[in-house]
Amino acid sequence: MSQIETFYDVMRRQGITRRSFMKYCSLTAAALGLGPSFVPKIAHAMETKPRTPVIWVHGLECTCCSESFIRSAHPLAKDVVLSMISLDYDDTLMAAAGHAAEAAFEDTIAKYKGNYILAVEGNPPLNEDGMFCITGGKPFVEKLRHAAKDAKAIISWGACASYGCVQAAAPNPTQATPVHKVITDKPIIKVPGCPPIAEVMTGVITYMLTFDRMPELDRQGRPAMFYSQRIHDKCYRRPHFDAGQFVEQWDDDAARKGYCLYKMGCKGPTTYNACSTVRWNEGVSFPIQSGHGCIGCSEDGFWDQNGFYERVTGIKQFGIEATADQIGFATTAVVGGAVAVHAAASALKRAQKKNEEA
Amino acid sequence: MSDTPRLVVGPFNRVEGDLEVQLDLADGKVVSAQVNAPLYRGFERMLEGRAPSDALTLTPRICGICSISQSAAAARALAAATGVMPTPQGAAMAALIHAVENASDHLFHFNLFFMPDFTRPCYAGRGWYERAVDRFAAINGAAGRAAIAARTDLMHILGLMAGKWPHTLALQPGGVTRAPGPRDKLRIETALRQFRKYLERDVFGGALEDFCALDSPAALMGWTGGDVGLFLEIAADTDLAAMGRGAGRYLSFGAYELAEGHGFAPGLWRAGRRGPVDQAAIIEDPSHAWMLGGAAHPFKGQTTPDETMRETAYTWCKAPRLGGEPVEVGALARQIVDGHPLAVALAGGGVLARVAGRLLELARTQILMEHWAREIDTEAVFMRTAALPETASGAGLVEAARGALGHWVRIEGGKIASYQIIAPTTWNFSPRDAQGVPGPLETALVGAPVAEGEDTPVAVQHIVRSFDPCMVCTVH
Repeated sequence: MSQIETFYDVMRRQGITRRSFMKYCSLTAAALGLGPSFVPKIAHAMETKPRTPVIWVHGLECTCCSESFIRSAHPLAKDVVLSMISLDYDDTLMAAAGHAAEAAFEDTIAKYKGNYILAVEGNPPLNEDGMFCITGGKPFVEKLRHAAKDAKAIISWGACASYGCVQAAAPNPTQATPVHKVITDKPIIKVPGCPPIAEVMTGVITYMLTFDRMPELDRQGRPAMFYSQRIHDKCYRRPHFDAGQFVEQWDDDAARKGYCLYKMGCKGPTTYNACSTVRWNEGVSFPIQSGHGCIGCSEDGFWDQNGFYERVTGIKQFGIEATADQIGFATTAVVGGAVAVHAAASALKRAQKKNEEA
Repeated sequence: MSDTPRLVVGPFNRVEGDLEVQLDLADGKVVSAQVNAPLYRGFERMLEGRAPSDALTLTPRICGICSISQSAAAARALAAATGVMPTPQGAAMAALIHAVENASDHLFHFNLFFMPDFTRPCYAGRGWYERAVDRFAAINGAAGRAAIAARTDLMHILGLMAGKWPHTLALQPGGVTRAPGPRDKLRIETALRQFRKYLERDVFGGALEDFCALDSPAALMGWTGGDVGLFLEIAADTDLAAMGRGAGRYLSFGAYELAEGHGFAPGLWRAGRRGPVDQAAIIEDPSHAWMLGGAAHPFKGQTTPDETMRETAYTWCKAPRLGGEPVEVGALARQIVDGHPLAVALAGGGVLARVAGRLLELARTQILMEHWAREIDTEAVFMRTAALPETASGAGLVEAARGALGHWVRIEGGKIASYQIIAPTTWNFSPRDAQGVPGPLETALVGAPVAEGEDTPVAVQHIVRSFDPCMVCTVH
């Protein structure tokens, strides 16, 4: 077997200039929240280390993760990452079809045994021996197990692979099952969201390709760099929450003024994701900015929480500085009334901060 | 002569979802085809017993490519059940949001899903081959890259108006959650101007209005500009016009329903004439699907998988029929039913007609979107609310990029009692019905040439992709 080429070799072959390569390294460092001193380290790693092959497979899903991924705002990262992935195997975007595609899949597994990253979009349905999702004449769960056996690590893209997502909604007709419940002997990183934000996807995969290890994970297995803050904490409508200014109806004056959507069922207070900072479609907006509450699509079980328009309660239970690790996934319920407590807590926190600064 | 009487083609790549086609061959031609949709998730079952508004969040997640179409159909079904239609400007913004997705889908289909088949080695040596590889090679083709970039920019409109894409939440029964301000209007118009520039430079190589003015297949084949010109050159050389011809029956529920009428009119094209759509004559027939129950109108239908996967069936997809007949849906169907002279002249056509219908619609949709953007009244009301009744039913009939999409909801005791969906590819990739009549793709594949030793016959690839299938929507 010939030596596997480096990332830099791949990029050069794709026609990427040295200047663009260095730019890619600094953008990567910035995206991952690393300082400028990391830029040469990233460059060195990319120049010397053999590239990490990626196999990207699709189970029960809707391809929204791929759709999100290819629209990353960071075109260079997307091009580079995409070109590296496409060298190996991807169900949706690759050129080969039919038997040639299946052959490419087996070749990649054999050639990079123990060295490749398996990226999984969607999940396997286990009912009826997996017959609800058949690819290449075999249940997807078999393909998944087969590909996972020799993988170095697994990325669970999106809510489907991470948690089951909507096809696992009650009564879960096909017994759609998240990846980590089928594959239990490999390191798995969950990148939830329906879909995940494009820049989060490129950020995670770039980190893993560059440093050849998983980024720091929270207790639920999500990369802490993107899932450590609540939507609510960085929401541009937060001042209206603190001031008690709420939208009560879709078409009221408060809606037009952009008041807080908490009473319309916004799950921002219980959802850990980067929507309110990174935003969507190249940083243009995110659901709350378009006037609809967050549905908490990066949290486990978001699809079965008693209605997407019921307001969340129990915000006070989180404490003021709780993190995703401390509370895990908080269930939402239909009670209402905790908002005042939380607003008061926020005011208190502001006052404390002022004192500290003084 | 082929010595393989039967060939199973699949999985298909560059197709949304999973698909398998079983072909019976004789004398180097397909004599019979069976289409298998091998993926089932059970959305209709999950919706039963839930709050009706849950449909707005769950149904878009049937599909990451046409999620807004599913949103639009769910919103319309709930609006019909409530008896409250969106405000005029709310409907116009919903139409704009929906049109952006449909235009994006057409663009992607052409550049990333359909054209790359012409870069297969079997075409090496043709006069256009090098140019096709340069433009359309999978992943690396210049046209594909430009299309991804152009679509990303166009989708800023979805960022602005819909919050995020895929899977927006902005479309509601009474309109849209976001009231655009003057700044939004300006940004939308700018994004559309850029998209037109890209379309006229790369895709069409000429003014969109000139392309829309083409009124006959001869005039169409004379178009030489842009990637469309390259496609037409290839189409003439490979005789795509004769490949995979349709039965000449086309259905459109009508696209972009606004206060002043539809953007593209509804109707049924049959025997060379346009007539109205008899909604009561729609049934789904599960005779060849691994589903239980008899043929029924979607208000009465059920989705109960046959866990024995009986031998007489071959797919998870039920067979929808209108007045007992299969119908073809999609951009070509919409343009024929809308009465565009070029599309009407292409009625009954094959691969060329379907792809040309899509390109024609791409050009016409851009012009519609520009119109709606110009007419945005930032002072208007974009949403009205109404309580959902305890007991009601409603149908949401819209046009997704790939064709007619219907949601039929029955509400009892304030909860969803039944929810049935017929997606565009359910129509096009329908299996046989109880009478043994094959679906549109199964019919179109008959006669497709299969060369000796071809295990992924290129003609079959062209015909399948000319429908732009969306398999995850098909069975859901």
